[in-house]
Amino acid sequence: MNGQDIGRFFRSAQFSQEKIVFSIAVVMFVVFSATLQGFLTTGNVISLVQSVSILGVLSIGMALTIFGRGIDLSIVSNMAISVAWVLYLANQHVSLPAALLCGLGLNLAIGLLNGVLIAYVEIPAIFATLAMGTAVYGFGHSILVNSDVIFLPNADPWFKALGGGSVLGIPSPVLWLIALCAVVFLFLRFTRPGRFIFGMGDNPLAARIAGIPVRPMIVLQYLISSLIGFLAGIITATLVNSMNTRVANSTLVYDVILVVAIGGVGLSGGKGSVRNVIVGTLLIGTLFNGMTILDVPYTLQNIVKSVILLIAIVTDSLLNPRDEQTSQQGDI
Amino acid sequence: MSLKKYVLAGATALAMVGVAITAAHADHFDDGQWGMTAKALKGKTVAYVPISMGFDLAQGWAAAMQKSADKWGYKLVINDPNWSASAGVQAIGQLLAQKPDVLVIQPFDPQSYAKLIKKALDQGTKVVQINMESVTHGDAYVGSDWYDVAATEMDLMEKACGKAAGKNGKIALIPGIPTNPGQMVGTQAINDKLKQYPDLQVVATQAAEYDPTKAHDVALTILKQHPDLCGIPGTWDGQDVGTAAAIKEAGLLGKVYLVTSGGGRQAAACDYIANGSYSAYVSYDGKGQGRDLVGSVVSLLQDSEKAGSHPVGVYSSLKIITKETMSTGSCWTIEDIKANGA
Amino acid sequence: MSASEVYARWRHRLIPDHILGEILSKTWIDNAIPFAFLIIAIAFFAFINPHFFLLSGLGDMARELGEIIFVTLGMVIVMLAGGIDLSVGSTFALSNFITLALFNWQGWPIGLAVLCALLAGAAVGLLNGILVGYLRLRAFLTTLVTLIIIRAIDDTLVIQYSTKVVVPITQSKVWDFISDGDIYGIPIPFIVAIVIAAVGHVLLTRLRPGWHILAVGGSRRSAHNAGIPVRRTVAMTYVMSGILAAAGGVFYASRLGTAGGDTGVGLEVTALTAAVLGGNSLGGGRGSVVKALLGALTVTIINNGLISLGLKSGAGSLALGVVLLIAVAIDVRWLKNRHKVLSKVYVSPAYFKLPPCPSITEGSGSSYALNDKLHDVELIGLGEIDAAEDPILDINDDLFFGSRKGDIIRYFGPDHKRWEVYVHVGGMPLGMAFDRDGNLLCCVAGMGLYKVVKDTRKIVKLTDETNRTWLSIVDDSRMRLPDDLDIAPDGRIFFSEATIRFDSYEWMVDGLEARGNGRIICYDPRDKSTKTVLPKIKFPNGICVAHDGKSIFYASTWGCTIERFWLEGQKKGTTETIIADLPGYPDNINRSSDGNYWVALVGLRTPAFDLALRKPGFRRRMVQRVAQDEWLFPQMNAGTVIKFTESGQVIDCLWDKRGVNHPMLTSCNEHKGYLYLGGIVNNRVGKYKVPGADPNFTNQGSYWGAKP
Repeated sequence: MNGQDIGRFFRSAQFSQEKIVFSIAVVMFVVFSATLQGFLTTGNVISLVQSVSILGVLSIGMALTIFGRGIDLSIVSNMAISVAWVLYLANQHVSLPAALLCGLGLNLAIGLLNGVLIAYVEIPAIFATLAMGTAVYGFGHSILVNSDVIFLPNADPWFKALGGGSVLGIPSPVLWLIALCAVVFLFLRFTRPGRFIFGMGDNPLAARIAGIPVRPMIVLQYLISSLIGFLAGIITATLVNSMNTRVANSTLVYDVILVVAIGGVGLSGGKGSVRNVIVGTLLIGTLFNGMTILDVPYTLQNIVKSVILLIAIVTDSLLNPRDEQTSQQGDI
Repeated sequence: MSLKKYVLAGATALAMVGVAITAAHADHFDDGQWGMTAKALKGKTVAYVPISMGFDLAQGWAAAMQKSADKWGYKLVINDPNWSASAGVQAIGQLLAQKPDVLVIQPFDPQSYAKLIKKALDQGTKVVQINMESVTHGDAYVGSDWYDVAATEMDLMEKACGKAAGKNGKIALIPGIPTNPGQMVGTQAINDKLKQYPDLQVVATQAAEYDPTKAHDVALTILKQHPDLCGIPGTWDGQDVGTAAAIKEAGLLGKVYLVTSGGGRQAAACDYIANGSYSAYVSYDGKGQGRDLVGSVVSLLQDSEKAGSHPVGVYSSLKIITKETMSTGSCWTIEDIKANGA
Repeated sequence: MSASEVYARWRHRLIPDHILGEILSKTWIDNAIPFAFLIIAIAFFAFINPHFFLLSGLGDMARELGEIIFVTLGMVIVMLAGGIDLSVGSTFALSNFITLALFNWQGWPIGLAVLCALLAGAAVGLLNGILVGYLRLRAFLTTLVTLIIIRAIDDTLVIQYSTKVVVPITQSKVWDFISDGDIYGIPIPFIVAIVIAAVGHVLLTRLRPGWHILAVGGSRRSAHNAGIPVRRTVAMTYVMSGILAAAGGVFYASRLGTAGGDTGVGLEVTALTAAVLGGNSLGGGRGSVVKALLGALTVTIINNGLISLGLKSGAGSLALGVVLLIAVAIDVRWLKNRHKVLSKVYVSPAYFKLPPCPSITEGSGSSYALNDKLHDVELIGLGEIDAAEDPILDINDDLFFGSRKGDIIRYFGPDHKRWEVYVHVGGMPLGMAFDRDGNLLCCVAGMGLYKVVKDTRKIVKLTDETNRTWLSIVDDSRMRLPDDLDIAPDGRIFFSEATIRFDSYEWMVDGLEARGNGRIICYDPRDKSTKTVLPKIKFPNGICVAHDGKSIFYASTWGCTIERFWLEGQKKGTTETIIADLPGYPDNINRSSDGNYWVALVGLRTPAFDLALRKPGFRRRMVQRVAQDEWLFPQMNAGTVIKFTESGQVIDCLWDKRGVNHPMLTSCNEHKGYLYLGGIVNNRVGKYKVPGADPNFTNQGSYWGAKP
């Protein structure tokens, strides 16, 4: 059986990257459950989900932009700086709601700027957000906050409960992730802007001709991703009592892209759903949890994670090969 | 800094020099030494290149030196490589071209600044290294003994979790970035101490990249896996705030003995000792380091010896802060150093 | 003349507006923006911090710059083929580690250690190349994954061995020289980087693999369809990038001699910034080594400059991010709008005042008075012909003329019913003439001066280049619009090039400028030399050597004049105006059998356009604000043929009153008592019986004597 035949066989079986990844995740889960003591316990499964819930939240935001043929590489910087500023202001005895408003305003302004640069100035999203991420980190560091790590002040319990609380034994980050998935799913499925985003991602020119207000929609997309980033930041800060702004320079944003891509969301837009992101998140969560229990060194964890993603995209490319005649120019 | 700020800063410095000189020659009581010191320090330049100006220690040291510079009329130039060794090399190279009198650097690792230190000494610039010693010695090393910090943490672990304390000795290591040279020295100390205390048993080692979120996730998983974990010798307060949150979340506050280390700033150390997040804190006392640093710099500025002829080491004394030993003087704030010096 | 008109005249005489458009149309203008960034960066930091450019600081910077250049070059090569390589930072770190490990720790000879490091880089590149090139994965995601994998491998090695690799056990003079040495103060890494960049430049611009890379980046599909091995080409770019990143790592090793977890972290962003700042496009097809160098230099200066300012943590990132944003924004807008801007500013009208227009009213007694002599012309090849320009007949009465499709058509004499494609030239043939040996000489638009050998029909290029004018911005050595030619008795070929600023399809736009953009060129077959004889003529068009061979007549179309240029005699080298006030725009000139000359007027002057010529501001606004099909052009819908004497007296005038037979007349040629009429948009050739003409007159005979 040559490659094409294999491809046809798998295609006939409706194999997609999402299913491959999901199968890997399930297999791994089963293997870990069988072999690792203490893996299949309620507590561990909850902590499995919790450990990736912030990653999941960020990935949902990232996925929204990717659906619309964009990408938001500034999501982590934006999150870190806007939330660090909130904590900084709160430390300076600004009232918490006022500090939150300031941080939110900054966050949305950054999202707006991203959107305008991409939609109206027509800078490729990859660059606009990459440069914005650097600029935002720099702006925050030189002007807004004074330290790399900003500690959470002694705040109201309700605020701390945003990330650090739990309901019925389920930690709040997990609840946030579930709620966000539901909201975004409904948004994408049932609202007009949600459908527009997919239309734009599929074919921006056709979307424009069809009368979709492509430019305002792009701006909206980045506003939403920023907002989701802010949410992730607040959860993080209240969960670990601090905000580390250096996370902006870490590989977290790459991890976020990995989660999105590994679940089978097409990076060229228009392809994927919230479900793909959940699958990706669960795979990474299972991997991370299992390897932590196995005490695998973190460098090796990175390799394992990357190799799995590589296998997923290679398989996907073999199953759905790109056609030289129809592939898009300049599509990286 | 904008140009305007530059001009302002320059003007301020000039004004201060002026004040200092007038003070020196007009009003100030001179016991003989004082005048020599004032004369030796006046108009000198000290260049300062920490790893980054974004963390409390570097800010504290800078504040301490600035206070002294303002008093004695020497100039402090700060270049911030912001966590990049390569940028640090460039920064130092540029500063050396301006021929400062003393160069205060915090190397990233023993090697990358080695050539520059030699170059500095050759051109007569004296070199003070803080918190990390290069393979090339300068005129002074001021700072922590990383081996000691980790060893002290392990001693505390043994006390809290060892057989003598009647505990199971299970500990988990959450280092920062394993490739960090300070971390590597610490790891060596931990390994040595583990040999010394065979009753301590490492159940997990997971790096957290100095990121509290990552530390939180790692700690949470480890705690779920080992609910009977006795202690965690931490790495750095900025990271271990996440570890502490995970312990609290797992409902094990007070049951897991968490030791961390750091510069001992109030908001990062004593506040967390007070609320029970950290069981103990090994402080290398940033304020004290600042004082040592100022002492070294000031004496080098007055020293007419050839640069690099007598390297000395000034190792910080470690403070162990626990709820019991904590007092108002245990920790420091940058505002305090800025106002009152180190 | 009103004051404002005087002003307009002097203003347009003194200020050469057309230069702006010409500068914008240069290809190197693409580098102007990155270059401007560089200059601004240098000026800014030199102003803020005079210490910054002190020599010792520069030496350190050049050392680092060498590394950045390597990595940026690799990134640019990958980007040129339409990809992106995020793994450069990790490759850089790995190569740094390998160099140190093999040299310092294992004590290998330095050459071997470096070779191994480069091979490791090539291996990473090959992995990327196989994945992206052959398996056609997405470049961004794939190299992101290799970035993480290679970084993890490097980290593992660093954790294990970093203390061992930093202390050298052997010494190597070569290595010390690379680390610390310089040649005339220039550090070795920088010199090597420049040499490699030069090699890269040659590769990309002169060699086949480089062309393949550009082709794939320009249009992957076309490259594939053209048979270029797209996959292999793409894969090769990653291998090159891997090797170049590794080379950067080797020099980093020589400079710092340390292996840490932060080596090369974020280098991919630096390289990407440099590439984009230099003006290399993401997505491929546009970029060069020079752009890479410009970008690398700018980024290094900004980075170091910001460090030297001693700003607060983060200010550097802020500035770099903002600079990147601005650079990309300008680049994007520039790419998108360059042609718009160019089309707006390229046409640059000048002031020109025509003398009063002579009357053409019927019965006015004017020499140009309207008649209907062309009413009954015989039509040749009606409907079969597409754009018959400059009909000419040979001694066998065969009729030749050009066509829009790039052919020379022959109608067989004497009845001119049958026809064939005589030769296919490729460009549009305009003026034609037979030389002494009966070869057909032809000016071909966009190509040059060509000869069709008499019997073999072999096409020979005589010339397509002339001497370049000093200080002209447009490269005027290549010919754009050779128009008409004639041959002097000594064999020299004089031909006109109508304009050096416009191509043949937009020749009318030249009329809006009313500037002397054309020239007369002489090709001397004796020594095969070409040189410009008369520059700066307003659309020189028809050329005809006088009957005595001592002067040439030429028509200046937009000038509405016939000029005479003396080749011999007392007035040699001077020009005199024979007719200064034609009522229309003269085109081709040819001899008539009675010792005079025929000239076709392609269109007639109109008061509106004559006025517009005195209002350059008006024409500029029109060009900038009005769509092109609404522009006011010279009138080209009715023409005529006139006959003039050597002294410039108009003695005959042929009109087609109905405007049906020959609405546009661009050429006329007398042969055996008939005048053959051509037009550049006509679908016919007219044949007019000239009353009283010599029935034995042929052009060839007139030029070269009786039948050879």
